[in-house]
Amino acid sequence: MQHLEHDRLVFLALGESEADTSDRTHLDACPHCQAELEGLRHVAGLGAASQELRELPDPPEHVWQGIMAEITEAKELPRLAADRQRPDPAGPVTTDAPPGPRRSRSGRWSRLATTAVTAVAAATVGVVGTAAVLRDGTPAEPTVVASAPLAAYGSTPPAAQGDARVLGTGELHLHVANLPAVPGYYEVWLINPRNMEMFSVGVLGDNSDVLLPLPPNVDLGQYSIVDVSAEEFDNDTAHSGDSLLRGSLTG
Amino acid sequence: MRATVGHAPNQANRPVTGIRQQPGTPEDELADRFRAGDELALREAYDRYGRAVLHLATSTLVNRSDAEDATQATFVAAWLGRETFDPAKGSLVGWLLGIGRRKVIDRLRSAARETRVVETVRQLPEPAPAGSDPDTVVDRLVVADELARLPDEQRRMLELAFFDDLTHQQIATVTGVPLGTVKSHIRRGMASLKRRWEVDGAAPGARPAGISGAR
Repeated sequence: MQHLEHDRLVFLALGESEADTSDRTHLDACPHCQAELEGLRHVAGLGAASQELRELPDPPEHVWQGIMAEITEAKELPRLAADRQRPDPAGPVTTDAPPGPRRSRSGRWSRLATTAVTAVAAATVGVVGTAAVLRDGTPAEPTVVASAPLAAYGSTPPAAQGDARVLGTGELHLHVANLPAVPGYYEVWLINPRNMEMFSVGVLGDNSDVLLPLPPNVDLGQYSIVDVSAEEFDNDTAHSGDSLLRGSLTG
Repeated sequence: MRATVGHAPNQANRPVTGIRQQPGTPEDELADRFRAGDELALREAYDRYGRAVLHLATSTLVNRSDAEDATQATFVAAWLGRETFDPAKGSLVGWLLGIGRRKVIDRLRSAARETRVVETVRQLPEPAPAGSDPDTVVDRLVVADELARLPDEQRRMLELAFFDDLTHQQIATVTGVPLGTVKSHIRRGMASLKRRWEVDGAAPGARPAGISGAR
């Protein structure tokens, strides 16, 4: 059976052509052409209805901020969430839990490191399930390799302050207080005071505590300044120049 | 304050996803960076498609703050599940809308449960105020997005046919383009719209096996 030409179906679907007797005879007998015509008609209807979609309003800013807050939190807590379901919280935390889909960046930490990280996260990030994790025994305090009191920098209100601790696990634990509200977000940096080279360690969410992994090869003798900056959502990955807190690591 | 990537924010004829396919800003590249976990790509995807996802939510959910929640939840789920996005199975915006559709349907279902409870208590069979059907909204957004991406001439001819309801002869007269060329643009444009709908659309029949990869 000779199918209708696709052009013909398109023009029929758009109402540009009228189906003649031979078209109708074929369509009545051919489910394939019928389905194609139906599909094209449907798409033409969707196309016509799409006019009103050309000027859609932007989502309000707080939706984006909610997204950032949630993903920042999720970044910090995946391990904690997994360990919460462990039936024997008194035993040492092991890492044989099935890897979740989002733990890719934690793969390089050793089993021991994981224990300590979990303990710190449980002790300091009071967001999810702290009680469940802590209900049995007190987790050992992690080793502190270096630390720095953070003070308000520049025109930041002097009440703003914090503490930075580099843990034996290779993570930077940051505790902050009284940071001024900013329209964007807070970013954490390590700066080499000799040449002002710097790199971003991560983003500080709405919580007053955060654990950020440091690159394993970081030279804290060089990159000794911990800096918290106010950043805008401007797609510029460089430091905004607006530092809120700074402190010098000593170990 | 807001970053606008890949498009001018207030241009007169802004396509639904905020982009016209432009040289140097290919979708594939954004999708790749998104999948690789580049947070800037998240922002960029949000700038391009946040409007479409919010529209899906506001036109299907009655409550505005539910709609904003669903939009937020969509991007969070997409980001955390970015490794499950398979570019071979559809576009990034199609995938996002598939996730959005599920978030919206979850909320519609829980609202329906609450309504039933209230009805049982009050014995008032008053139907909940109904928004649009999520599948239809997704399909419309997908087709609108594809329309915005068509080559200019194809898009222009189809818009005249769809929005101004002109015959092909009238389009030829208005545009000064020969009738045969008008027909060929329209035929190609329609083929692209239909293909895209089959790949990224949500409605039953649009594709054989539901929304790919979306959670």
